[in-house]
Amino acid sequence: MKHITKIYGNGVLANDDMNLELAESEILAVVGENGAGKSTLMKILYGLEHPTAGEIYIRGEKQVFKNPQDAMKSGIGMVQQNFMLLPPFTVAENIVYGNEPRKSRFLFDRKKAKAEVDELSERYGLGIDSNLVVEDCPVGLQQRCEILKVLYQNADIIIFDEPSAVLTPQEVDSLLDTLRNLAKAGKSIILITHKLNEVMAVSDRCIVMRGGKHIATVKTSETSTKELSAMMVGREIVDAKIPQATPGKTVLEVNDLVKTGEAGKPILKGCSLHVNEGEIVGIAGVSGNGQTELLHTIVGLMQADSGNIVLDGKEIGGLDVRSIRETGCAYVPEDRNTMGCALKATLSETMLMAHQYEEMFNHKGILKHKTAAERFTALLEQYDVKYSTLSQLSGELSGGNLQKLIVAREMSHHAKLLIVSEPTRGVDIGAMEFIHNQILKQRAEGGAILLVSSDLTELLKLSDRIYVMYDGFINGELKRAEAKPENVGILMMGGSADD
Amino acid sequence: MTKIKNAALHMFKVLWQPFLAIFLGLIVGAIVILIVGHNPITVYITMFQKSFFTLHYLLQSLTRSVPILVCSLAIVASWRAGYINLGVEGQMTVGSFVGTLVAVYMPGPTFVVIIAAVLCGMMAGAAYSLFAAFIYDKFNVSIVISTLMMNYIATYITTYFITFSLRDTSSVYAIQTKEIAMAMRLPRILPGKPFNLGFFIAIALVILLMFVVSKTKFGYESKMTGLNPVFAQYGGVKKTRVMYSTMALSGAIAACAGMLEIFGIKFRFVESMFTSTGYAWTGLMAALISGLHPIGAGFTSIFLAGMQVGGQNIQLSTGIPVQVATLIQSSIILFVSVQLFANWRKKSKLKAAADSKKAGDE
Repeated sequence: MKHITKIYGNGVLANDDMNLELAESEILAVVGENGAGKSTLMKILYGLEHPTAGEIYIRGEKQVFKNPQDAMKSGIGMVQQNFMLLPPFTVAENIVYGNEPRKSRFLFDRKKAKAEVDELSERYGLGIDSNLVVEDCPVGLQQRCEILKVLYQNADIIIFDEPSAVLTPQEVDSLLDTLRNLAKAGKSIILITHKLNEVMAVSDRCIVMRGGKHIATVKTSETSTKELSAMMVGREIVDAKIPQATPGKTVLEVNDLVKTGEAGKPILKGCSLHVNEGEIVGIAGVSGNGQTELLHTIVGLMQADSGNIVLDGKEIGGLDVRSIRETGCAYVPEDRNTMGCALKATLSETMLMAHQYEEMFNHKGILKHKTAAERFTALLEQYDVKYSTLSQLSGELSGGNLQKLIVAREMSHHAKLLIVSEPTRGVDIGAMEFIHNQILKQRAEGGAILLVSSDLTELLKLSDRIYVMYDGFINGELKRAEAKPENVGILMMGGSADD
Repeated sequence: MTKIKNAALHMFKVLWQPFLAIFLGLIVGAIVILIVGHNPITVYITMFQKSFFTLHYLLQSLTRSVPILVCSLAIVASWRAGYINLGVEGQMTVGSFVGTLVAVYMPGPTFVVIIAAVLCGMMAGAAYSLFAAFIYDKFNVSIVISTLMMNYIATYITTYFITFSLRDTSSVYAIQTKEIAMAMRLPRILPGKPFNLGFFIAIALVILLMFVVSKTKFGYESKMTGLNPVFAQYGGVKKTRVMYSTMALSGAIAACAGMLEIFGIKFRFVESMFTSTGYAWTGLMAALISGLHPIGAGFTSIFLAGMQVGGQNIQLSTGIPVQVATLIQSSIILFVSVQLFANWRKKSKLKAAADSKKAGDE
């Protein structure tokens, strides 16, 4: 592969005169905030969209891609953010889909398919059992399945679109290993992301984009996360100075919560914790160790088998969601698409949720749409959400904007207890900074905040105290000064603080 | 000015899809008419003249549309919340049967009897659909199945009563109840035409449902439950309460559909009167075509009723079987469900979203 050059500029200016070169066995990172034009650029390379001007060259030959099939023929593959797999089929079946090996003209050769897939998986060190059924696979494995699909189509250039957005930290690590293996085996990789630590960890070179424009191309070894993020955002990102917390009286007290799941599998094995006024309390832990269930039990979406929960002096165990919310609790859920909103509801409908029984928006069962519209417009303005009208659908917003909308909705309750789960998953640096500042502001106003995040950096930055969850119980409690990635990490893996 | 423009735009959004589907359905119908050996243009002209464009037939169509329209509202009310109520036929049967019995047998002043009849009928319809909600809640019996099966139960139980204990013995052949008193019938608007107040009651129900759907907390909560039950639950919406109220509302509306037909046209409950006419299913079609929007469902119901009336009339005047009209109706439904439109719509929506995002970035 010599190089790909691509120049184009169009009226709407999603991409403005972008150049991109990729060498063999190279990992090139393309970074930029949401809306910087990274995805558009990649869609053009993958034939999903057509450039207004500019050309694509592969190995010195000019190429015109009418559609992704053309791009695939030229050896370009893309691992999409949303997997395109058939859940009830096995890994092998999914991978060969479209190019199945056949016994005769009509018969699918299952054995050969499996052998080919296994061979491929072996060669690139993907380590995936091709007999597994896709719907039983965790997200990380499903992604490997996508990668194998691209490899099966003989791609030499593989584009990864925000591959880590859906993964747990452990899965991210193994993804990065996979990327390194692929590059070693001679594949060229383009990694689109806004997670800079991943860029620093695997890439050789890095292209920074902002507002559709090419800002800089730098060798990864010659730059730093700080420099990159400044280039991405267009200004220096200042680490917020976090003032000392001044905790007041206890707002939330959870005592000895026990919950057994389906088939008698224990989920919570006696959790106790408390959150005070003016304090951010973090819960660290590898996801799937009971954090979600703990939060769901507190907000009333789930009932515990035993133990009690006291919010603002009132026992709320066994109450329904609405009563708990009215006692003084707001909740930013970890999954904004399945719980935080309805994608087909309008923005105002999404923002009204859990406010619909408040007197401000509701007069004897009749909703006050006008008041709501005024209030929501102001709120969205304040939270810097980019939208066109309140009647557009939530699913039309970008992930970061939707997250800001949900945060705005929950924070506007000014509840005594704010529960925040994965507040910045999949949002860009600007939005992340903003959401962090809002959380800190809520703390300064005396709010009690319970924060769950799989992003340890975020957790350590914001939390005044950290509980570490492991296998359904609290495996340790650390104050801000004591909490370091190392000791939190040990507790997360089930070790003890004295190790 | 902008208000009018917005309203027009809103109406267009609600109505463009049924209109397009109707147009394509008519084209398929034209092909069939050609095959049968007639001129589709003259047939369509006759059909529209004898359904909408002469007063006599227009009134006939509007009269026919009443039960269909109200049934479509019953569907809209429940399906919007995600509860697939296929039992509108059964609920209208039970509800109007009870309503008729009260009207026929209850002593007292006319006014009181009418109110009692309407209330009892609506309660019976609501109770009948609530039973389906109850067995779903307690025993996890799918609402789709239970409501569908309860249609048969309703038909045969009412048939039993009017065949034996409650039969009007003055007629030897017809299996039916006694007639309701003259004073209780819905007043006719024009002398000599069956068109009656029922149509305006149906329109009032459209407006009422529109209000419930768009302005009330209940309408909001049931729509959210339909769009994403997890989201609704997260926001403190009590799922079972929404289910019971939605199903009750749907059943009560279905009962109204039956009672409007009886109090306006038939004046008595006749054996399997709603099964043979298929009002509930035409209403279901209307609701689906219009994307479960009350106003859209209203217009579509009137159109489908006109198609039925026009279809019967072309059979009388040209000999083309009424089934052709049914065929046109069915192709309209198919065209509505064709994924093509959905994708096209999605694309234009995505484009609009992309434009708005770009606009926001500036």
